[in-house]
Amino acid sequence: MKQVSSNAPDEVLRDAKVRVEGVSKYMLQDGKPFAVLQDVNLYANAGEIVSLIGPSGCGKSTLLNIMAGLEQPSSGTLYLHGHRAEQRLGMVGYMQQKDLLLPWRNVLDNVILGLELRGISRRLARARALALMEQFGLKGFETAYPYALSGGMRQRAAFLRTILPEQEVFLLDEPFGALDALNRAQIHEWLLGLWETLHKTIVLVTHDVDEAIFLSDRVYVMTSRPGRVQLVQGINLPRPRRLEMVTTAPFVAFKTQLLAALRQEPAAAARDGKQ
Amino acid sequence: MSTPDRAPAAQPAMAPRATPYTGRLRRLTGHWGPAALIVLGLLGIWESYVRLWAVPKWLLPAPSVIAMTLIGSRALLLDHTLVTLLEVVVGFGLSLLCGVLLACGIATSQTLERALYPFVIASQMVPIIVIAPLLLIWVGYGLTPKIIVVALTAFFPIVVNMADGLKSADPDAVNLLRTMGASRWQIFVKVQVPTSLPFLFSGLRVAMAVSVIGAVIGEWVGSSQGLGYLMIRSKPQFLTERVFAAIVMLSVMGVALFVLVGIIEQHVIPWWHNEQRQRSLK
Repeated sequence: MKQVSSNAPDEVLRDAKVRVEGVSKYMLQDGKPFAVLQDVNLYANAGEIVSLIGPSGCGKSTLLNIMAGLEQPSSGTLYLHGHRAEQRLGMVGYMQQKDLLLPWRNVLDNVILGLELRGISRRLARARALALMEQFGLKGFETAYPYALSGGMRQRAAFLRTILPEQEVFLLDEPFGALDALNRAQIHEWLLGLWETLHKTIVLVTHDVDEAIFLSDRVYVMTSRPGRVQLVQGINLPRPRRLEMVTTAPFVAFKTQLLAALRQEPAAAARDGKQ
Repeated sequence: MSTPDRAPAAQPAMAPRATPYTGRLRRLTGHWGPAALIVLGLLGIWESYVRLWAVPKWLLPAPSVIAMTLIGSRALLLDHTLVTLLEVVVGFGLSLLCGVLLACGIATSQTLERALYPFVIASQMVPIIVIAPLLLIWVGYGLTPKIIVVALTAFFPIVVNMADGLKSADPDAVNLLRTMGASRWQIFVKVQVPTSLPFLFSGLRVAMAVSVIGAVIGEWVGSSQGLGYLMIRSKPQFLTERVFAAIVMLSVMGVALFVLVGIIEQHVIPWWHNEQRQRSLK
């Protein structure tokens, strides 16, 4: 049953860097409990990128909050690096939708926040950050304060801050939501280039189907209220991925399939409601 | 206004007329000019009223007479000003220290908040004018009772503002630090304290203004030196011009201290001022 719902054989699951098993989350609304997430299963192996797509209100952000350890599931289990992880704070890199740069710190001191919290000296942390400034398009803005930055730069600074502590698993919640299409395409290629050198595990939440296919090894399509995984689609496009691929037949086929799943979702929800 | 450039946005707001002044000077006169004109006008009316109606000096001294007293009795005035200044600075420092510690306790522990807040509020409900004579009985003359009165008047705005500031930290930023494995102490130091600083400085400016009043009240109740004492002693002697001279010194001191707090604020939280300026241009 497990294998079927996670769409992966047992030995893969044991190797998974991050794994969510049978996670449900109930919250109270007007004194009555309602399900935000219901029996969600997903996993990501070392060096994989997996995406979560679904309509707004499908509990994607709640799921990431649970994976990051900010919230606990009502039922179900989470595994990190193959071990049951009750306490997950500080074990995964989490980039939320808002950049959350601290206004009293300049760019350099914002991006070293994670290192600083781990007790690494500011001098050492700054040296490590400075080496990456150029790659993140922040060179020359080290001493600028967040209010003086463009949206894209703030996003990249937040991204660098997420990556610097060198976690093995990253959770990205619509990290490129604030960017326009052109910047997005560029940052996708840039991200994949970076990812190929770092070889980290990424769980990405997005509402952009193209983004999900282009970046991912696997896409999870979720339903709304309660959030459930309705489709798991492996994306076996060759890597490295190139921008031209978005017009190829396999890419379009994946897109057609995922869009159909997203479209049929309201009907499925209505049917479930009648049960 | 997505571009971070500030210069173009400021342009339309400037006066279109070309004048021989430099921009800075024009801004300064534009800023302080109206206030200076009002003060000069009032002083002129006052001076001419006193002279035309030959008002006796003990009833209402002319500004020129007050100015002469300021110059003539400068040594005496300065001595008493320094005493009051000392009371204000020490009392203010004391209330800053106690206020910040109290606010940290209130903001981090619900139990402490419930235990302490009633006393913080009660301390403001009892009039200082009632407490001051009691302090005189308990700790005697000298500087100590005045310092305590100053500290009592100043600490309320410090505690309330700082506690509110500590509690208004962005919950998302707090969660961000939690996902990075931050301890409660790290969250307090790296998010809550910086968030509270603009609040604290608002409180400090109010506290600075009221602590000067506190010092004078403390001196009125019983003392042998300070500007408040000088006023009390000069009044029955009908040295009204000296009362006014003391008021002038008191005002100058109060304004200087207030401005000083503002200058320190600019240096401690420059990011706050730059962000405010940026926002006002958008």
